[in-house]
Amino acid sequence: MNLPHPEFATTTDDAWVPSACALCYGSCSILAHRVDGVVVKVEGNPDSVVGKGRLCGKGVSGLACHYDPNRLKVPLRRTNPKKGINEDPGWKEISWDEALDEIATVLKRLRADDPRKLLMQRTTTVTASRIPFQTFGTAFGTPNISTSGGGLHCGNGAHLISGIMHASWGIVPDFHYCNYSIYFGASKGHAAGHAANSNMGLSADARARGMKMVVVDPMCNFAAAKASEWVPLRVGTDAALALAMCNVIANELEILDKPYLQAKTNSPYLIGPDKRYVRDPVNEQPLVWDLKENKARPYNEVPSENMALEGKYQVGTVSCQPAFALLREHLKKFTPAWAEEVSTVPAANVRRLATEFATEARVGSTIVIDGVTLPYRPVASIAFRGSQGHMNSAYNFLAADLLNHLVGAADVVGSCLGFNSASLGHPDTNRPYYFPKPGPDGLMTVGMWMGYHTPYPAGEPRMPQKMGLQDLFIMGMTSPFLDSTDQEEFWTKFELPYRPEVLMNFGSNLLLSIANSETVAASLAKYKFMVSFDLYLTETSNFADIVLPDCSYLQSYESRANFPFILSHPAGPGEYSWPIRQAVLPPDGEQRRFTEVLLELSDRVGFRDKLNAAMNMSMNLQAPYQLEGAQKYTHEEICDMDLKCHFGPERGLEWFKEHGLISWKKRPEEVYWRPFADVRVPIYWEFLIPVGEQIAAIAEPRGLKIPREYYEPLPDFLPCLSHCCKKPGFDFSAFYYRDILHTNSYTLENPWLDEAAQLDPYSYAIAINADAARGKGLKDGELVWVETETGRKVKGRIKLTRAIHPEGLGIAACAGHWAEGMPVAKGKGVMFNDLLELDWAHVSPVNLNLDLCVRVKVTSAEQRQ
Amino acid sequence: MKWGMVIDLKRCIGCYGCQLSCKAEHGTPPGVFFARVLKCEEGEYPSVRQVFLPVLCNHCEDAPCVDTCPTGASFKWADGTVDVDHDKCVGCRTCMMACPYGQRYYNDGDAHYFPKGTTAYEEKMVVRHQRNVVMKCNFCRDRVQAGKLPACVANCPTTARIFGDLDDPLSEVSRLIKDRGGFPLHPELGTKPSVYYLPP
Amino acid sequence: MTTQTAKYEQLIQDLRVQLRPQREWGEGRGLFLVIGHFLNGIAGGAWLMGLIFDSVAGLSVAFVMAALGGLAHLGFLGRPERFWRMVSRMKSAWISRGFLGLSLFLAGAFLYLVPQLIPAAPWSAGSLIAQTGYVLAFVGMITLIGYMGFVYTASKAIPFWNSPLHPVLYIGHALRGGVAALLVVAAFSAPAGGAEQELLWMWIAVTSTVAVLFAIEMHGAFTSGNEAARGSVRTLLAGSMAVYFYIGTLAVGVAVPAWLVFSGWHSLLHARDFMALIGVASAVGDFFLKYSVIRAGTHLPLWTRLRPQI
Ligand SMILES: Nc1nc2c(c(=O)[nH]1)N[C@H]1C(S)=C(S)[C@@H](COP(=O)(O)OP(=O)(O)OC[C@H]3O[C@@H](n4cnc5c(=O)[nH]c(N)nc54)[C@H](O)[C@@H]3O)O[C@H]1N2
Ligand SMILES: Nc1nc2c(c(=O)[nH]1)N[C@H]1C(S)=C(S)[C@@H](COP(=O)(O)OP(=O)(O)OC[C@H]3O[C@@H](n4cnc5c(=O)[nH]c(N)nc54)[C@H](O)[C@@H]3O)O[C@H]1N2
Ligand code: SF4
Ligand code: SF4
Ligand code: SF4
Ligand code: SF4
Ligand code: SF4
Ligand SMILES: [Mo]
Repeated sequence: MNLPHPEFATTTDDAWVPSACALCYGSCSILAHRVDGVVVKVEGNPDSVVGKGRLCGKGVSGLACHYDPNRLKVPLRRTNPKKGINEDPGWKEISWDEALDEIATVLKRLRADDPRKLLMQRTTTVTASRIPFQTFGTAFGTPNISTSGGGLHCGNGAHLISGIMHASWGIVPDFHYCNYSIYFGASKGHAAGHAANSNMGLSADARARGMKMVVVDPMCNFAAAKASEWVPLRVGTDAALALAMCNVIANELEILDKPYLQAKTNSPYLIGPDKRYVRDPVNEQPLVWDLKENKARPYNEVPSENMALEGKYQVGTVSCQPAFALLREHLKKFTPAWAEEVSTVPAANVRRLATEFATEARVGSTIVIDGVTLPYRPVASIAFRGSQGHMNSAYNFLAADLLNHLVGAADVVGSCLGFNSASLGHPDTNRPYYFPKPGPDGLMTVGMWMGYHTPYPAGEPRMPQKMGLQDLFIMGMTSPFLDSTDQEEFWTKFELPYRPEVLMNFGSNLLLSIANSETVAASLAKYKFMVSFDLYLTETSNFADIVLPDCSYLQSYESRANFPFILSHPAGPGEYSWPIRQAVLPPDGEQRRFTEVLLELSDRVGFRDKLNAAMNMSMNLQAPYQLEGAQKYTHEEICDMDLKCHFGPERGLEWFKEHGLISWKKRPEEVYWRPFADVRVPIYWEFLIPVGEQIAAIAEPRGLKIPREYYEPLPDFLPCLSHCCKKPGFDFSAFYYRDILHTNSYTLENPWLDEAAQLDPYSYAIAINADAARGKGLKDGELVWVETETGRKVKGRIKLTRAIHPEGLGIAACAGHWAEGMPVAKGKGVMFNDLLELDWAHVSPVNLNLDLCVRVKVTSAEQRQ
Repeated sequence: MKWGMVIDLKRCIGCYGCQLSCKAEHGTPPGVFFARVLKCEEGEYPSVRQVFLPVLCNHCEDAPCVDTCPTGASFKWADGTVDVDHDKCVGCRTCMMACPYGQRYYNDGDAHYFPKGTTAYEEKMVVRHQRNVVMKCNFCRDRVQAGKLPACVANCPTTARIFGDLDDPLSEVSRLIKDRGGFPLHPELGTKPSVYYLPP
Repeated sequence: MTTQTAKYEQLIQDLRVQLRPQREWGEGRGLFLVIGHFLNGIAGGAWLMGLIFDSVAGLSVAFVMAALGGLAHLGFLGRPERFWRMVSRMKSAWISRGFLGLSLFLAGAFLYLVPQLIPAAPWSAGSLIAQTGYVLAFVGMITLIGYMGFVYTASKAIPFWNSPLHPVLYIGHALRGGVAALLVVAAFSAPAGGAEQELLWMWIAVTSTVAVLFAIEMHGAFTSGNEAARGSVRTLLAGSMAVYFYIGTLAVGVAVPAWLVFSGWHSLLHARDFMALIGVASAVGDFFLKYSVIRAGTHLPLWTRLRPQI
């Protein structure tokens, strides 16, 4: 039992402490009520726009995570050198000094040898771990910094394309003004996603206001339950539906926002027969056809209204066409009838949805917001994890987003918005300041990003230095090769000059969260040395050599709980809030904040100077709040400097501890920044061609075929492996979806949430279509085997439901724990990921996103008993 | 003055925030829920929907639980709130057989969630509940007395829950019931609930 | 698994299903409530029969049954030390009324019986005290026979019980229990001149009435639009309670005594142990009927159709 903290255990302690939740990456603002050294309640902080005083079910249950008696309290050292799922690590308690000594010795040796042999890996769930882990890795000298499941699952497609098209990490309807939204596999505002909890309120307001919501999803789960129309489709076929809708809009209805396409996209850029831009021979700029002058001129010299979108032109010897004309022609092959065949969505519905969307877009209309006249396009097509979690990750997402761009519904009033793509800063300091700006060829580069390379301009593919090969596959972010079965083959093939030896892991429980545990275990076991900062002895931490007991969110500090705003700060008009996280309770036992531990390790290994520099960079710290030389700062001192740097000398950590956050009003040109930013976005991904060529030039001589259909500049429908499985009996496409009650694999250990999930009909069950199941003689509640073609299988109880596509098989959450260190979670739910293969064949060859759907056979597990 | 609640099923997204914020507010033991969220499916594929129904004590005007309680432990405040005086309850559970909405729980289980025993939070918040008596929602009486909204109402991320005076025809609850066709659960039982639902 | 965790897991299971069985009355310590109601039913009936057949032994049995029934009730309560509070809601709560009835009965029966059994008692059989006792016990008896059914009928959560027939049925049970008690008593005491034959007639009459009423009630529950009531009937006839119902109630409580009654009918001279057997079997049957009907109680499902046709 953990006792109240003596420090506070007085009869007079009664405080409401403003801080930030960390049960998911949403980081909503909270007030923690501490009485006599015990936190008795966590509520939302009404002063903050992040949650507006309300929390999701997980947020209010955070205490049950914090007070879990299974929390780690002392550093542990493994005594059994053998690592494996069934190996008992033989944990032995050690002192912090011993632990840090050993880690520092290993890191010192490694850094002298080859710093690239270190992998820094963290969970997405604790946003606050991003900067400390990235800066530590960078300062150490390793390019290997990863967010475990991160992009592989949530967003190699979503983040890349949101970045290129909206200068943000994700997209969302402008809930304040949108009248018609289409969701392609996203639950934003209804269960999960960015700013999950804030969006719940905003989307409810929008629905109450009358916003129509069409939800394209194989299952009628969260968003679909509230939709005005649920559009069930075959898993992974979103691009087919979206492209057919684009076709109807562009070729049948011809409802197009031409001024937007002319001024804000690369639609007018002339494309030659080689599919590349036709460039000005002198200044190398892409050419457009000037209708007024009747000749080709560099795009930046022509008023956009004079740029041709259609037609065939001759520039010198080159015959060319505007990108838009090519797009329009390209779309013609995606007929509604064809889309019906692929996606099962009736052709008539495809037409109707396209018509509704295009009509409601009110192309050409404007609205006055805060005295500013702005384009008004009250429609939004958004997508996230569901539609882009496939081989066709990039095009699925791009196709959905293309709907917006055809009608000019991008970052204007009522449209599809990037999450806070622009910030002009607090009125007192004008910080934080970032704004999308034009990059090469006039195409947009982000104002703010979260690591790796910015999505555009794409880097140049080269022989890899990164173990994930993202410097070869430059459109990828998180990589399968960190853990895949074919990693060694690929490292050899691409002559990776080293092999990873040490893993510093923060939380991330990749044995559950990435793919089948056998594969992940094999790759984890290869590390010579692994350190894990964790709350519990998770399955993954059981592979570590040293486990360090971290502090919970209620015991930690973070100066930027919701920054960058492009991740988990509500979008749309309103306010910006910059809240902090602060300790409500001191550490328990020997727990130490990971932030302090990393700082100390940098001292022990001897690169504090580099770390200070990396932090200055990463947090954009300016004099006089720059970290100097190798000076030793505590984490709280760094937070203090960060805050002062952004909000003035009088608003340091102490000020924030008292006030919790600072808020200021958003300006229309921040929310609806698109008309104010001199940027274009690519409806034609010309740059993909050279990327594909360059990758192929490296890969193909080494025996790896690069499927070039993935590198075409215009989106297409490319089937998943699961669509190609024709083996009899394999009738279902399995997919996973997030439960509203659980954050990935983490909260299954939270007994309140586990209890609620046990009461939920779907949370721990395998959902299949009632008719389809009955056709196979399966009963509701029956124990079944779900088996893939490769023989991977999981067992669970089925829930017969009418609310799922007849071919779909949905499994919620990221379940299937077996570790003794998480006894509440152990044995709960179904481990979907055990069905997933992890290798080159199962990822998108362009952005490395893992295919998250898999064809399966369902058989009763009861008859055999 | 009669406290009542309106739950807007159009706004509710079945997030369990009410169920869990109530647990957090009151430190209810395992298996005890003053608020719950039920899920069902209505319609046929593809015109089917998951539907969410948050439930809590209806604070019935003609409360069968109060009528049948032999000790007077179950009683009604002047503002219509139905409450249990845990010092009077004998644990006969007659009220549980009387409440047609299944909103009463008998507290005879563990006072802790983790098999390892009580946490500091549970020591303070769960252990204090009297055992072997019946528990239920009391419209967060302490909060309401202190001028705050019930925990589940204050926290609902979608503002689906509205609390107010049913006797006041101008209150938001009264207006919503009137304008949007608010209905109680099982009106045929004649219990006259104070919790109304707005159609999804 | 500890009983606590088993119980918790059962509860979570129950909360998941649409037709949630009631478990508070009848499972674990809840069994005491069934026993209490069973004994108190017999007590009321036995007192009535004792008066009719003028059997002090029958009256004594009634008293003992009531006392044991009272104890069983205490054993059921979560907070038995507060039992005295149970008279607080006479106006509306049948339990309060029943509790008062039981108290009156125990006090009255005590006052009435003591001089009957102990000639040296401080007050005599005809005294005002004894007469007051008689009246109190009589009122108590009526309450005991009558209240119990209403306790169940007042349970709006359990549609199966929430039937107007239930009180009548419980009265029938009490009478059957009384007859049974007297049959057993008769087996051990001096013959009361042809009373046996009358008792058997009565047994037949009451049993048939109860059977008819019960059949009507079951039919009503099954054909009612109520899913929970139907669920209860299913539980009783084809579910987890079927064994108790068919073997305990029908076989032991009806078939066996009926066979005994009819097989022995013409032999005129009923062996006393036969009578006792009929009584015991009938009582056992009643216990199982109560037990299975209580356990078959199923909560009204909360879900009503919420969404207009889409
Ligand atoms: N089946 C299935 N698989 C999935 C997903 C899914 O929904 N279903 N989601 C996918 C996606 S998009 C992602 S991003 C990944 C995420 O997968 P992971 O990164 O593994 O994330 P979690 O499972 O949320 O958290 C893992 C662990 O982090 C630790 N942790 C939590 N808070 C703290 C803290 O404050 N300090 C420390 N040191 N540790 C902490 C806890 O031990 C927790 O169990 O999973 C992916 N995999
Ligand atoms: N409650 C909760 N919130 C979370 C998290 C969590 O674990 N729990 N995790 C956080 C993280 S790390 C992330 S990345 C985000 C993810 O947030 P979301 O993208 O909203 O995540 P999902 O629920 O996995 O996927 C959304 C929907 O896609 C559907 N889907 C699956 N396959 C397909 C398909 O092929 N096509 C279409 N159209 N739909 C499909 C699923 O049924 C699901 O309804 O949520 C974040 N917020
Ligand atoms: S959305 Fe995430 S951060 Fe916000 S309250 Fe819920 S769990 Fe906490
Ligand atoms: S908190 Fe609100 S939205 Fe969530 S389930 Fe409860 S009523 Fe519905
Ligand atoms: S359990 Fe308590 S509250 Fe319920 S009826 Fe009995 S005495 Fe009343
Ligand atoms: S809902 Fe149940 S507990 Fe609440 S007042 Fe009505 S009958 Fe009583
Ligand atoms: S009103 Fe209070 S006690 Fe009742 S359900 Fe809501 S939070 Fe729980
Ligand atoms: Mo994610």
